[in-house]
Amino acid sequence: MTTAALRLAGVSVGYSGTPVVTGVDLELGAGQRLALVGPNGAGKSTVIRSVLGLAQILDGTATVLDRTPARARALTGYVPQTGNLDPDFPVSVRQVVMMGRYRQLGWWRPARATDRRAVTEALDRVGLADRAGHRFGLLSGGQRQRVLLARAIAAQPRLLLLDEPFNGVDAVSQEAIVRVLRELSADGTALVLSTHDLAVARDLADLVCLINGRQWAVGPPGETLTAGPLRQTYGSSAIDLADGRMVLVDP
Amino acid sequence: MIEPFAVPFMGRALTEIALLALVCGPVSVFVFVRRLSFVSDALTHTVFPGVVVGFVAGGMDGLFTGALVAGVLTAVVLTVLTRSARLTDDAATAVVLTAMFSIGVILVSRRTSYTSDLTAFLFGRLLTVTPRQIAETAVLAAVILVALALGGRALMFRAFDPAGAAAAGLRIGWLDLWLNILLALVVVAAVRAVGTILVVALLIVPAAAARMVTDRLVPMAVIGTGLVLAAGYSGLLLSWTASLRYGIALTSASAVVLMLVLAYVLLLPLRRWRDRAFTGRTSPHELVG
Repeated sequence: MTTAALRLAGVSVGYSGTPVVTGVDLELGAGQRLALVGPNGAGKSTVIRSVLGLAQILDGTATVLDRTPARARALTGYVPQTGNLDPDFPVSVRQVVMMGRYRQLGWWRPARATDRRAVTEALDRVGLADRAGHRFGLLSGGQRQRVLLARAIAAQPRLLLLDEPFNGVDAVSQEAIVRVLRELSADGTALVLSTHDLAVARDLADLVCLINGRQWAVGPPGETLTAGPLRQTYGSSAIDLADGRMVLVDP
Repeated sequence: MIEPFAVPFMGRALTEIALLALVCGPVSVFVFVRRLSFVSDALTHTVFPGVVVGFVAGGMDGLFTGALVAGVLTAVVLTVLTRSARLTDDAATAVVLTAMFSIGVILVSRRTSYTSDLTAFLFGRLLTVTPRQIAETAVLAAVILVALALGGRALMFRAFDPAGAAAAGLRIGWLDLWLNILLALVVVAAVRAVGTILVVALLIVPAAAARMVTDRLVPMAVIGTGLVLAAGYSGLLLSWTASLRYGIALTSASAVVLMLVLAYVLLLPLRRWRDRAFTGRTSPHELVG
């Protein structure tokens, strides 16, 4: 049996003993792409944080690359939401991407040629090699998100988790991010991304997990992003269109 | 112009400031990026009762120990209080600050030499720095710089992106404690020379002023150190000239801090100018999205 990148069996996650999301059951293989879909406040970020070992697993078992989440950190990458970062922070794009190499570098060893090469390659991959010397905060929201993606790539993770990677991102950057994510998964990196954009989920994911306080459905987009499960997850915000498609109002 | 510093006590004062400049440049960069100005202010106030107790128990040597104990204790308490998240950072810090400072004032007011003691604790005695004090400052400076060099990478990652740093396996709580203790050590190193009140300027102003000139971390630290050195030299000279030539009593530590703040004010327009120069160059593409 091959190693699953992520296996959640009857998992409840939360903080300080209080569950935020319950009953999550899913398995993600190498190179597969999972979208966590649900309204704001549904607990998508909490599920991601639990896979990183930063939120409590209150029930069930979570296995990341055959390890506990905390022990798998050296093999997982994380792309946080750009909006939480201080745009005034005096740090260059190259320095941000180099943070992805810190785990290899340890506490104080200076960066070597391999580290610098990994940084340049990662920036090249997201199409921002020419911005390496710029201050991070001077880039657009979409470009910052690509820099954070480059930082995660520079660490060469086997499982990559992205928290709302398309929030406030322009079309050019969204296209670049989607292209890189497809390449990564083709190379065998498993992906977990949270989104409330159904079109993105349908386009990008092999597997969709609908979440709102609990797991409502899990499966291929064709089975999960349909009227029944969406209405369960979103309640009255989900509206049927005549042609069988769904739209969400005020998700 | 060099003449005043040929006088031994002036030379020692300048040496002491130079040692403090070495640590205050880099440390203030962390204060700046972590937005710990208020925490630094609190640390300087909470060291105060330790200073008083130490002085009463063992004179100038006791003062050092008292400051050290109070500083490290506060660093621990502040880290724990702000971690528990029951209080907002500001409220927790303010409670600790005011409580400890009042204890200090009560303790010092019980002494007969109340006024002169209070002045010395609050504003320091830069001109009476002894060779032994310089040696102690040098040891503390070395400890602080080594700790900063060891933890700098992790501390900077945590400052920029706490969620990303935690996901990468860094222990945020320990890093916060690390930095708070470093701040406390700077306060302890500087307290006898510049006093508990003025030391806060050395922790905040260097990086804040350097930020006007550069938006790179290492140059910020270097420029910050340079600014403290320049302020130390010119401040000492100013207080020397004022008191000897014009008979105006100008406390030397206050003069140094005044020069540092002056540098900040003078550099302010530079930041505005840099910002405007940049906005002029920005293409609409970079402002969108």
